Amino acid sequence: MSLAGDIETVLFSGVRLAAPLAFAACGEYLAERAGTLNISVEAMMLGAAFGAVAVAGLTGSGLAGLLAGILIGALIGLVHGVLAHGLTVNTFVVGLVLNALVLGLTSYLIATATPLSRPPERWPLLSLLVIIPSTWWLVDRSRWGLELRAAGENPQAAAMTGIRVNLRRRQALLWCGALSGLGGAYLAVGEVGSFNQNMTAGRGYLVIAAVIFGGWRLARTLVGCALFGLADALRLALPALGVTVNSQLLISAPYLLALLAMLLFASRHNQPHALGRPSPRSGV
Amino acid sequence: MSALTLRAVSKRYGTVIACDGVDLDIDPGEIHGLLGENGAGKSTLMRILFGLETRDAGTVLRDGEPVRIAGPQDAAALGLGMVHQHFSLIDPLPVWENIILGDTGRIRRAAARAEILAIARRYGLPIDPLAIVGTLSAGERQRVELIKCLRRDPGVLILDEPTSVLTRAESAELFAVLRRVVRSERRAVVLISHKLAEITAATDRVTVLRRGRVVFRSATRDTDVVELARQMVGRDVSLGAEAAALGLLPTGPGTVPDVARQPAMRLRGLVVRPFLNGVDLDVRPGEITGLYGAEGNGQTVLGDVLSGLVVPDTGIVELGGVPVALKRPGALHRAGLGIVPEDRHRAGVVLDLSVAANLVMKDPVVNRRRLRRTAERLAEEFGIVGASLDAPLRTLSGGNQQRVVLARELSAHTKVLVVAQPSHGLDVGAAEDLYARLRSCARDGVAVLLISTEIEEVLGLTDRIAVIASGRIAGELRTADATTERLGLLVGGVAR
Repeated sequence: MSLAGDIETVLFSGVRLAAPLAFAACGEYLAERAGTLNISVEAMMLGAAFGAVAVAGLTGSGLAGLLAGILIGALIGLVHGVLAHGLTVNTFVVGLVLNALVLGLTSYLIATATPLSRPPERWPLLSLLVIIPSTWWLVDRSRWGLELRAAGENPQAAAMTGIRVNLRRRQALLWCGALSGLGGAYLAVGEVGSFNQNMTAGRGYLVIAAVIFGGWRLARTLVGCALFGLADALRLALPALGVTVNSQLLISAPYLLALLAMLLFASRHNQPHALGRPSPRSGV
Repeated sequence: MSALTLRAVSKRYGTVIACDGVDLDIDPGEIHGLLGENGAGKSTLMRILFGLETRDAGTVLRDGEPVRIAGPQDAAALGLGMVHQHFSLIDPLPVWENIILGDTGRIRRAAARAEILAIARRYGLPIDPLAIVGTLSAGERQRVELIKCLRRDPGVLILDEPTSVLTRAESAELFAVLRRVVRSERRAVVLISHKLAEITAATDRVTVLRRGRVVFRSATRDTDVVELARQMVGRDVSLGAEAAALGLLPTGPGTVPDVARQPAMRLRGLVVRPFLNGVDLDVRPGEITGLYGAEGNGQTVLGDVLSGLVVPDTGIVELGGVPVALKRPGALHRAGLGIVPEDRHRAGVVLDLSVAANLVMKDPVVNRRRLRRTAERLAEEFGIVGASLDAPLRTLSGGNQQRVVLARELSAHTKVLVVAQPSHGLDVGAAEDLYARLRSCARDGVAVLLISTEIEEVLGLTDRIAVIASGRIAGELRTADATTERLGLLVGGVAR
């Protein structure tokens, strides 16, 4: 194969590997603007990947699989929201528990998700063309988004103004869950065509890294996703191109790149001031 | 009929009674002063009115009708508008987004901005709707709060300590707007304050709260500051430091300064672009030097420099004739400089650590028993009263927190003490105590620098006043020669 052909292949698979990240990143971006540093995005993607394959296998419809993924992601978002912004359990504890729980559950039930016999379906990629602008509009232009941002920047002041901070944060997590679910489902049904144990393998954390890398701006967050997707593609392509590197080591490449990129480019300038901080009591 | 009536409103937190059967009538077309020390129950009362707290007993009537207020939205629907003591604005958002926050329905950007400009013009509150709130001065932020409030066309406007961060001119501007709101638009205004001068100058009627009860009410013209002070504190108030604390006029010069003495601290050509543009200042032992100026003229940054938080671009700080290596953390402290910073929560204390830990934080000794003894001695010496030395500092009142900082910063080798806006958030009693301690410090030969935006405080406490404007010392004069007018001119950069 020619060099140009190689590059083209890598770029193309980079975009495809970036897509699941981009879906989830739109959700995570919105949740973080509302003040939740949502680490259960990993659970949302993994749970959705599992559910999507199971349902797609059962019904024979990729679309049904995707919808199941969205629902499972949203469900995890709901649980996270109720625990963290209803019962005020520490959001990181909730996230860690959910991640461990979903990893365990999907591993246990793995037999229910048989590999699909149908070719991967890439059309859901197109929905990004709607999801990205609408995420931007929701956050930066809608009243709902203004209230989300207020909740993320200064929950006390927002509550004083009569905004139901925790409700907004729960809603943001729901949205985040649905989009992360779509991302996970697309990974499983749209790209791989089967479910493997721990198949997201930390992609949820990459999404969080992308939001931080993007300095809590949507466009830069998506650039981060593209970068990490590309690194992943390169990792997969290197052996085929005849470069031999320890494969275990290569797996960590996107994560190392994430670390490096954040070191060089991340800015905290736009970080929501109340990110990860619970709302005061009056802000129910 | 009263615009707003409270009947026997009570609220207790555990064993503390914050409000005890409070009756209050607010009429349309009046500015009603609500006077009381910190902790007298003023703020609790207002939080109840805004549905941020639920009352234990009593009724609230709006235009004679009993109403239920479960949250800020209910209060807004009833035409109650509030300008909060601690600003309720969201810094990273622009002015217009802050103002429309809390509305419902679609956002119409252009219309919202036009409306804001129209209100700003009508009330003479100039503001740029696109400016980011975090970049505004305290006075401008308050304008935003006012516009946010007035835009909802409230029948009753409640202002909680509105002038605590404002300069004289900004306060005057505020009261002009309020008078207009009351006289020509027949709204009712409640002015919550602990500053007597403000209450007597701006209100029509006044109600005094003490320990949760109404202890006095009168038409403002039928009473005077001495009577109000007595009612508020519950005993006779002497002149001097207390009068200054109460916002009364100053009572003549303090001690006669000894100019011949060598300055304990010299600032030479301090530049922190763009905030400080070459500050020269001497602070002499045994004196209280005041640094007075309108907020946002560089005094905060100067405080940060003297805290060691900001390293100046150029310039030197000399303590006892020796320049201090400002880049080295803690160098100022080791050279004998103590500082009570402007925002003690940000830079003065760690709220979640114990009182004892906060007291000995800068002590190099790590022996627990000795630290404990030091903490106990300081608490005793500085009259720090609270639950216990092991309780988190958060549990202490503002006055006691301030005493903790002062106690820590005033060790045996402190030659220079810098106090920035020390009376912010303190009640009269605590401020009095603080002033007495600063005076006794100066008497003991410490050089005290008081950074303040409160003219009464500066006039009442200092021996010498330097005025800072646009990051420079605009002029320096002896307090005995200072008048409000002269200081005002310097602050405005009019005269040298």
